[in-house]
Amino acid sequence: MTEQAWNRRTFLGAATALAAALGVSPARLLAGLPASEAPTARHSALLREVSQLVIPRTDTAGAGDVGTGAFVSLALAHGLKDTRAPIKDAPAGWPLRADGSLRHDLWLERTLDQRAGGDFLARPPAQRHALLAALDAEAFPAGPPPAVPSPWRAIKALILTGYYTSEEGGSKELRYEAVPGRWDPDIALHKGDRAFSSDWTAVDFG
Amino acid sequence: MTNPDFDAIVVGSGITGGMAAKQLTEAGLKVLMLERGRPIEHGDYPTEMKAPWEMPFRGEGDAELYARDYPVQRLNRHFTEFTQNHFVNDVESPYQQGEGAFTWFRSYQLGGRSLTWGRQCYRWSDYDFGANQRDGHGTDWPIRYADLAPWYDKAEDFVGVSGAKEELAQLPDGQFQPPMALNIVEQTVRERILKQWPDRRLTVGRTANLTQGKPELGRGPCQYRNICMRGCSFGAYFSTQSSTLPAAQATGRLTVITDAQVEKLDYDPATRRITGVRWVDTKTRARKSATARLVFLNAGSFNSVHILLNSASEAMPHGLANASGVLGTHIMDHANTLSAAAIMPGFEQHTSFGNRPTGIVIPRFRNLDTLDGEGFTRGYSFQGGALQSTWTQGTREGGIGVAYKDHLRAPGPWRMVLVVFAESVPRASNRLALSKVLDPLGVPQLEINFSHGKEELAALADAKKEAAAMLTAAGGQVIFGFDHPGPGGTAIHEMGGARMGHDPASSVLNKWSQAHDIANLFVTDGAQMSSSACQNPSLTYMALTMRAADYAVTQMKQGVI
Repeated sequence: MTEQAWNRRTFLGAATALAAALGVSPARLLAGLPASEAPTARHSALLREVSQLVIPRTDTAGAGDVGTGAFVSLALAHGLKDTRAPIKDAPAGWPLRADGSLRHDLWLERTLDQRAGGDFLARPPAQRHALLAALDAEAFPAGPPPAVPSPWRAIKALILTGYYTSEEGGSKELRYEAVPGRWDPDIALHKGDRAFSSDWTAVDFG
Repeated sequence: MTNPDFDAIVVGSGITGGMAAKQLTEAGLKVLMLERGRPIEHGDYPTEMKAPWEMPFRGEGDAELYARDYPVQRLNRHFTEFTQNHFVNDVESPYQQGEGAFTWFRSYQLGGRSLTWGRQCYRWSDYDFGANQRDGHGTDWPIRYADLAPWYDKAEDFVGVSGAKEELAQLPDGQFQPPMALNIVEQTVRERILKQWPDRRLTVGRTANLTQGKPELGRGPCQYRNICMRGCSFGAYFSTQSSTLPAAQATGRLTVITDAQVEKLDYDPATRRITGVRWVDTKTRARKSATARLVFLNAGSFNSVHILLNSASEAMPHGLANASGVLGTHIMDHANTLSAAAIMPGFEQHTSFGNRPTGIVIPRFRNLDTLDGEGFTRGYSFQGGALQSTWTQGTREGGIGVAYKDHLRAPGPWRMVLVVFAESVPRASNRLALSKVLDPLGVPQLEINFSHGKEELAALADAKKEAAAMLTAAGGQVIFGFDHPGPGGTAIHEMGGARMGHDPASSVLNKWSQAHDIANLFVTDGAQMSSSACQNPSLTYMALTMRAADYAVTQMKQGVI
């Protein structure tokens, strides 16, 4: 709460900041990342592929198809889902920033390449799927979660966020009603009915 | 005073400031409303119609920005990329935490927290107004339910409150619009709880969302979006912008000045009156002032106390209206946590459509006619509701690929949550003080000292047990629950600090929300509260404001003020 901080903000009030932010595209935000945080071409390709493996193309687009990889890069750089929080008791070899937070993208790249015994992206599709499925299964063990949760949990949460808040994921894979206009407290649920991405309380409480 | 600039100055434009301005202007007074934040026109809600994919961070917001500029506000569940423009920047508006933690969630803007409130509207009963007298905590309220009932009627009628009548002594019925319906799970839980506990009545939340439009006021009915805090251009929920400000402006007697942070009130010891209000123009930092015959403080509970503390003078060295020495003390905030969450099997063939902008409430059942609480003498009640999971459930589940995607496509299992609000006992040790640390405009910051006590902890332990018992009896499988409250401020029901009472030696305000020491000073926001009940307090603030405004105008016309 310093005088200097105030001066920096005086000319950019909350309203102005919002108006400016709403005009900024995610692509520009991504391009604006410092070099140390900007994804390399390989990271971008890897996050796109991993997103697509989690949510593949069916009768609607997959997560990689709709730019979820780029969203995850932006989200990791800005620390969404607490991904910039310092990690206590991080296992040896985890790629940490100077502030003790984990470079999730580097961790994912190393982990998958290690499990693939080489270039994960060069493995055949079925093998990529199997390798990621194994990583996922270990991250969500039966029983209580481990003391240091797998970084994959946060990456996966960001992939889901990126996909289901995209227009394709939010309004084609799921249903999106901006203005329902009425409240039906009890209607029949039929097989094949899709959930609402615009049920904000459900999104909040999961 | 010769020719004051205004008949009345209202400090603040939130739920009570707007109501004070409406009542005073409609009574014929020329009123100045001062608001420390920026102006917001009704309908100027830039994120209201945005989909997540139209937002730079998909509605989640820029966590890096939040860590830097909104370290407190970001802890509010309702603070998102869609609503961040309706909350303060913590760097620009700092405060000090003394003993105990207090997360102070604030909205400095025209309309204040009327734009971001939870909209729950509950009457208090004589169990509440009699609570301090009954167990000896705090000081006795100088009013009872009968004093306020006619004003609750008027407030509800204007605000537009939808709700169901239940004929409960502890939660009196009001002038309700038709209720929003319970969903099938909630309806079933209501019936199953009633079967086992006839005194526990789950009912739909009484909420300031219109089920019937008020076209004469330019307000449409609720559209069931449940994104109220972004601002509602339909005017379907009560806010200053949708309701009180248009009414006050229609009189032609209201002047509004925004970006005006009130610093202090001027007191004339010769006449024992407030003569005017001083503020800082937050844009130019210029010091300004205006005079008036009457001042209503509606800056928000803690900020109204802050202004009084900062208005100390030679005549009143410990703060304005503080002859008693209790100014700033006995602040409260409901002890609040998630008591139980349960999976509710048996409703797999059912769903709902639309987003109801209110949950359910299970009114207080403890310590009514019998003191049956173990270790606590006050009440608690539950709010919450039943909902079906959506895609976010996937963040807790293993799985990838087509089957996983298909799984997340369908609505998930029904869950029900019960969140407790326990009455906060008024304690002298929970208090506000002026800090030596200055804010960016050179005004001493407010220091908040607050901790929940053993009574609240006992109430929350009981609430956890009872919430689990009720959901289990209703067929649910409880998956978790907590009995430890969040830090002070979590409920966003902070109140007290300028309490009402019979005795000028032990209270700040009399039964008309009027300073004992100063006839032309009224404090009608949450600062006046002598106890906290366990209900959401805003409706009571509004009823008290209408009642105080009526009294002030009468006194003024009689030449007493």
